[in-house]
Amino acid sequence: MSSPAVSAPPPRRLRLMPRSPAFWFLAPAVFALAVIGIYPLLVALYNSFHHYNLADPESGTPFIGFDNYVATLTDPSFWGALGRTLAFLALTLPIELGLGLFAALLLHRQALPRLRAVARVSLVIPMATTYAVVGLIGRLVFNRQFGIANYLLGFLGVPPLDWLGNPTLAFVSVMIMDVWQWTPFCALILLAGLAMVPREVEEAARLETPRWTMIFWHQQRPYLLPGITAILILRSADMLKMFDAVFTMTRGGPGTATEFISIYIQRIGFRIFDQGMASAQAVLLLVLTIVLSRLYIRYVYREA
Amino acid sequence: MKNSIRQAAAALLGAAATFAAASNAAAWTLKEAAAPYSGTTISAIFLDRPGYKAAETLIPQFEKETGIKVKWEVLPYENTRERQVLNFVSGGDEDVALVDVVWLGEFASNKWIVPIKTFTDNPKLTDPNLNLKGFFPILLNAFGTWNNTVYGLPFDNYSGLMFYNQCKLKEAGFNGPPKTWDELLNVYAPKLTNASKNQYAFALQSRRGETQSADSFMRMLWPFGGSLVDAKFRSNLLSPQSQAGLEFRQKLMKYMPPGIVDYDHAESVNALAQGHVAMITEWSAFYPTLTDPSKSKLGNCLGVATEPSGPAGLKPALGGFSLAVNAKAPKKKQEAAWLFIQWITSEAMARPYLEAGGVPARMAVYQDPAVQKKFAFVKPMVTSWQGGVPDFRPRFPEWPAISEIIGEWGTKIMLGQVSVHDGSVEIGKRMETILQKAGYYDGKKPLLK
Repeated sequence: MSSPAVSAPPPRRLRLMPRSPAFWFLAPAVFALAVIGIYPLLVALYNSFHHYNLADPESGTPFIGFDNYVATLTDPSFWGALGRTLAFLALTLPIELGLGLFAALLLHRQALPRLRAVARVSLVIPMATTYAVVGLIGRLVFNRQFGIANYLLGFLGVPPLDWLGNPTLAFVSVMIMDVWQWTPFCALILLAGLAMVPREVEEAARLETPRWTMIFWHQQRPYLLPGITAILILRSADMLKMFDAVFTMTRGGPGTATEFISIYIQRIGFRIFDQGMASAQAVLLLVLTIVLSRLYIRYVYREA
Repeated sequence: MKNSIRQAAAALLGAAATFAAASNAAAWTLKEAAAPYSGTTISAIFLDRPGYKAAETLIPQFEKETGIKVKWEVLPYENTRERQVLNFVSGGDEDVALVDVVWLGEFASNKWIVPIKTFTDNPKLTDPNLNLKGFFPILLNAFGTWNNTVYGLPFDNYSGLMFYNQCKLKEAGFNGPPKTWDELLNVYAPKLTNASKNQYAFALQSRRGETQSADSFMRMLWPFGGSLVDAKFRSNLLSPQSQAGLEFRQKLMKYMPPGIVDYDHAESVNALAQGHVAMITEWSAFYPTLTDPSKSKLGNCLGVATEPSGPAGLKPALGGFSLAVNAKAPKKKQEAAWLFIQWITSEAMARPYLEAGGVPARMAVYQDPAVQKKFAFVKPMVTSWQGGVPDFRPRFPEWPAISEIIGEWGTKIMLGQVSVHDGSVEIGKRMETILQKAGYYDGKKPLLK
């Protein structure tokens, strides 16, 4: 009787369908990301190296190397629009963060629970408003003849301001509408950060010092930093691609006062239909967004 | 004897031809022509303007008679070209193309729309009463014809007119509107402006976009003898006439409401309707808005006249849309779309279209004294169409790109951020770069506008 043969392991078969549940859980998200994120990005990258004007089909789509990038980087209008966008970002984001933090600290207090509940719900309303509608509301609020902004200023004896016809005031009007819409977002994120602070630690600190600034700086701030980083990244990306509200409110004018980079790219891509040039500009904008995000993570989040 | 036989034969032949044409006309009916397309649905893009609302009220009549269903989508003007170009290049489902006067060159030269000859050569599809000569020549030429080929039939037709508040003018001691721009600036405007009471003489819609380039910038060039480009397509903005027109606009600004660079059509019309300004130059299509008591306080105070003349005469703004057939649509839908276009722009439908709030391009309808009496805008509009400039805005495919430049720099000029001269230099330089790239200067492209 021969000893029982040790059965050889079955030959490894190439499995087309992975069995891992992780694969199946991740697959839909990865597929969606590939379809709506990566594929358009690759198309934009491809277009940016080609002449591609939808309104000029006879010219075809020849490869033109870095011509679109050179044309973009030597275009003063592009730099003007980028400068305005960065100025908008630098002026608006700190205001939103500051007001958001103030609102979050108020809502974090234990007093008036019902009012706090109502306030939390009402914070969502501006965020839920469509961008284009925000722009239209802005046109009404800042209308010189019958807008509520001038009506309220009238009580203070201020003569009617030409909000949307004056370049500086038009810029300020867009800022005000953005602050109105997105301060609640900052407040909610920061409120979530404050809720993470262990209550007993916070109470112990209050016994130690009556100075709220000390408590805020040493105890609450570390819990807020991840939220602040998220706000900086999301709001920066949002402001760099801000289009609908500005387009409906000012159409980029008067002159170029509110012509931000996305408005400019839209003009190139969908008024002049130069998809190649618009793609190159969009790719450069993406690079800028990534660089800003990395900087935020490096210098803000690291402190957490 | 021979002569009389010849004459008799010719008369007989003529009579036979007339009889044949008449019997053909009698034989052709829309219902029969549309029978093969019954059940077909055609799609169109409409704007939120009176001419389209008028068409919407009439379409059920067409659908009932033909069995062809007309589906439309209402878009803002600013998105219409974008949507249609994307539609053309991606083979979308619009069958009826809406062609603004300044899109015609682009749509036709890219072969996105079908010459009407494709359909008029087919007697089954062509109404014997089509009568292209019945359209105002300037409208058929400007809105529908490119390089001597007719592509579209004029549908939503405008002329720039002066709308004014007769009561305010009378209060200020004027019995009628100004005849010239110079008179408006130097005689009327000072008496009709009182900034402390929020009263201004004139509003010129100048918001960035096509409003700035077409309604504001170009409007000031032609009456003063200027133009955007010369015969060789080089910038003509530095000519003394063009400069005079643009300088005039700057002078007029002190009699306009503050923030005029943010005024679009709605704001301008509303300023007149609510009594803040005494005069505006606007498209004829806004007449129904200004006579609607729910939107306008003017009532009997509304007056309508031609735009003021300049040193070069009456050169009013010209604008409007034709309807054409999308070349990318399937043949059956193309033919159904043609039947619709032919019907809605026909002489027979001109009166109902006018009554419903539209402005037809058919000459015959305006000859009726009852129409002239009922619609105060008719007389000045017809006068304007008889003396207008077909290429008020160049119709070449490069216009949208140039319009963007004018939108930006024209506004900067108005705001005083740049002088009239420097702004004109900048527009001219950038415009010539575009035209150079397009191939107009090296003979690659014919000088068509």
